Amino acid sequence: MHLLNFTIDKIIIHQIYRKDDEGNRVPPTQSNSYTKFDSAAMNEFKTRVRDALGVKSSAVKMEVFNNDDSGLPVLVDNMIDQDEDTFAVSSYDIAQKLTEAQNSKSMPGGIVVIFSGRDGIEKKKFLGIIKAEIHSAYQKMVNPKTKEISLKFVKEVLLTPGTRLYKTAAFFENPEYDKSSADLKDKWTVMVSDHQMSSTSWKAAAHYFYSDFLGCGYPESSARTTKLFYDSAKSFITDLEISQVEKNDLYNALNIHLKVKKSGTISLSGFAEEYFEEKYHDDFTGYMEGAGLPATDFVKDTAYVEKELKQRRVKFTSNVRVVGPTDAFNDLVKIEEIKSDPDQPETSETWTKIIIKDRISKQE
Amino acid sequence: MKERDFRAKWEAEKAIYDAWGAYVLETVKAALVAGEYDLDCFLKIPAKYRLKNIDSLVDKAFYRPDKKYTDPYKEIEDKVGVRFVVLLLNDINIVQKIIEHNTSLWNFENCRHFAEDREKHPLLFTYQSVHYILRPAKDIAVGAITIPSSIPCEVQIRTLLQHAHAELTHDHIYKSKKTVKPVVQRTVAKSMALIETTDDFFSEAMKKLNDGPVQEYGIVERLDGLYFSGTDIKSHNQKFAVVLLDAFEDLIDDQLIEKIQLFLVEYDIIYGVIKEKYKEHIVYQQSVVFFLYWLIRNKQCRLLKDWPFSMEILDLLASDIGVSLRNW
Repeated sequence: MHLLNFTIDKIIIHQIYRKDDEGNRVPPTQSNSYTKFDSAAMNEFKTRVRDALGVKSSAVKMEVFNNDDSGLPVLVDNMIDQDEDTFAVSSYDIAQKLTEAQNSKSMPGGIVVIFSGRDGIEKKKFLGIIKAEIHSAYQKMVNPKTKEISLKFVKEVLLTPGTRLYKTAAFFENPEYDKSSADLKDKWTVMVSDHQMSSTSWKAAAHYFYSDFLGCGYPESSARTTKLFYDSAKSFITDLEISQVEKNDLYNALNIHLKVKKSGTISLSGFAEEYFEEKYHDDFTGYMEGAGLPATDFVKDTAYVEKELKQRRVKFTSNVRVVGPTDAFNDLVKIEEIKSDPDQPETSETWTKIIIKDRISKQE
Repeated sequence: MKERDFRAKWEAEKAIYDAWGAYVLETVKAALVAGEYDLDCFLKIPAKYRLKNIDSLVDKAFYRPDKKYTDPYKEIEDKVGVRFVVLLLNDINIVQKIIEHNTSLWNFENCRHFAEDREKHPLLFTYQSVHYILRPAKDIAVGAITIPSSIPCEVQIRTLLQHAHAELTHDHIYKSKKTVKPVVQRTVAKSMALIETTDDFFSEAMKKLNDGPVQEYGIVERLDGLYFSGTDIKSHNQKFAVVLLDAFEDLIDDQLIEKIQLFLVEYDIIYGVIKEKYKEHIVYQQSVVFFLYWLIRNKQCRLLKDWPFSMEILDLLASDIGVSLRNW
C-alpha cells in the first residue's frame, strides 16, 4: 500500500523532444531550478499522482530487472539520498535516459516531471517520474462587464486530469528488505501507470517506457495472479443470485476477456464495469481483493489458465454436458431456461433449452 | 398563622427561596448543556424561576374556597417555581432524568405526572404537566445565603402544547373564582384531548423520522467513540454527517462498525492525519470521516455515483490514503 498520507518535497521539470526528421535524437532542455507549487496547485498535482498510482488505480506493479550502473534503477537509488543541487543535476539524466529510450519518430516529446517525497507512517522515500505530452485546450474567459463567456485557445497545456496523455511511474522504497541484497528489486517496488499497457497495441507502445527506460519487467507472479483472478471471478459468478442464463453469459465473458481481448493488463473495476450490473461493482472488487488480488491493475499472463480458457463447459444435474471452444460457445450456443409445463410455471420443473447455431457433424 | 405573620415570614425568607430557585434552574440547565443539548433549541421558552407574588400567596393561603391548609406557609410548596417547556413528550423524560439523578443535591417528590393522571382518570381531559417538589439534600450555602433542607421549589415540565393549554386556561379555569360554565369546560377538555393526540402524533413522527439503521445500530455514537479513542478529540458532527449517512443508509448494517474498525487497523495512519489536518477542513472534525474513508476504499463505485457534496472533499480524503478516484 503506497501513498499513505504522502508528501512531495521536490519537483523538477525538463523538456524532451520527438526525434527530428532525420531520426536523430534531440537533447532535452534542462531546467536548473525546482518547481514551487502553491498549496492548491500542489494538491492538484498530488491528485494526479494518487489517481495514477494509488490503490484502485490502473497502475501495474513492476519489478526492477536492470541492475546495471548505467540503468535507471541505480540512478534512482543514488538520487533518493542526494542533496537538492545534486538531485537537480541527476534528474536531467532521467530526461536523457527517456530521450534515449524513445526509439521511434512517432513517440512524442513533452515534459518529464521528476519528483520525490515520502509516504506511510515510516515516511519511506519514493521517487516519481511523469512523462506528460503537451496538447492544446481552451481556457474559459469571462468578460468582466458583460459577463459573457468566451474561450481562449491555449496551445500548450499538460497534466490535465485524463490519464491518456501521460505516463507515470514511481519507485517506492520497501518498508523492509534485505539490506545486504545488491538486487534493487528487493529494495524498490515500482508502480507504472501507462494507458498503452492496457490498449490493444500495448506491447510495443508500452515496452520502451517500462523496460527500455525504467529497466523493469513483469513480476514473475503475473501468471499466478491471472489464475487467481480467473478462479475467484468464477466463484463470484457462481455465488451470484442470478439466473443460470445470466451466469452463462458471465462465464463466457470471463473466458473471452482473458483469452481473446488483447489488453496487456487486467483491471478489477474495468472488468466489473464491462460485465456486471452497477450494483455488483463494489462487491466484485471487494470480493476479488479479499481473495488476494491486487487493488491495482496487474499484468495479464494466461500461462496457467490456457487449458481452461480453451473450452467452455456446461454440466447438467443428469451429467449431460455441453462442451465447446470458448469463441464458438460464445457465438453459437444460446441457453435459455424454460418450464416443463408453461401453463403451470410454479409447479413445473426447470428445463434448459439450448440452441446451437450449427448442424451435427458426428455422433458416437 | 395569621396573614400578617405569613407576610412577615415570607419577606424574611424570600431571598432564600430566590437563591434555591436560581440554584435548581442553573443546575438543570448545566446538566442539559453537559448532555450536549442546545438550550435555545431544546427549551422552547427560555427557562426562568419565579417567586410567587405575595398577594397571590396570601390569596392561596387564606382566601381560596378549595384550599384548606392547617399550616399554609409550610404546605404551599410552589412559593418558588421553575418551569421547563420542551417540544416532545420524550424531551420531558430527559429533564425528569436529570432531576431524579441528582439526589446528592436534592430530595425530590414526584407530586404530579400526567401519565398517572391519565391512568387514574382515563375519561378526563384536563391540565397536564409533570410537577416535582425539590428540597436541598442538605443545607446548601450559596454566597452569603444558606438554604435549609426544608425549602421547597416546584419544578414544572411540559410540552409546548401542554403549556399552551395551561397558558390559556390557568388563570381563567383552574384558578377561577367563579363557577365555570359546562360549555366552557367541555371546550377546554376538547382542546386538551386534541393536544394529547397531537403530542402523540409529534412523538410518532419524530420516532419515524429517527427510525433507521443509523439509529438502530447507534452508528453516530459508535463512530464518535472510535474518533475519540483514536484522536483524543471530541467529534463535532454537523448536518454534513446526517446527509452523508442518509445518502448511503443502505450500506449501513450491524457489521459496519466492525468493518470500519478492521479498516482502521490497516489504515491506522488516519488518526494522525485527522489530528494534523483538523483545522484544514470540517470533514476532519466529524467522526463520520471514518465512514467516508471506508467508502472511498471499499464502496467507491457507489460513493462516486451518489456523492452529495463537492469532489474537493473526496479528493482531500482520497489523497490522505492514496486511493485513486478516477478508475470508474
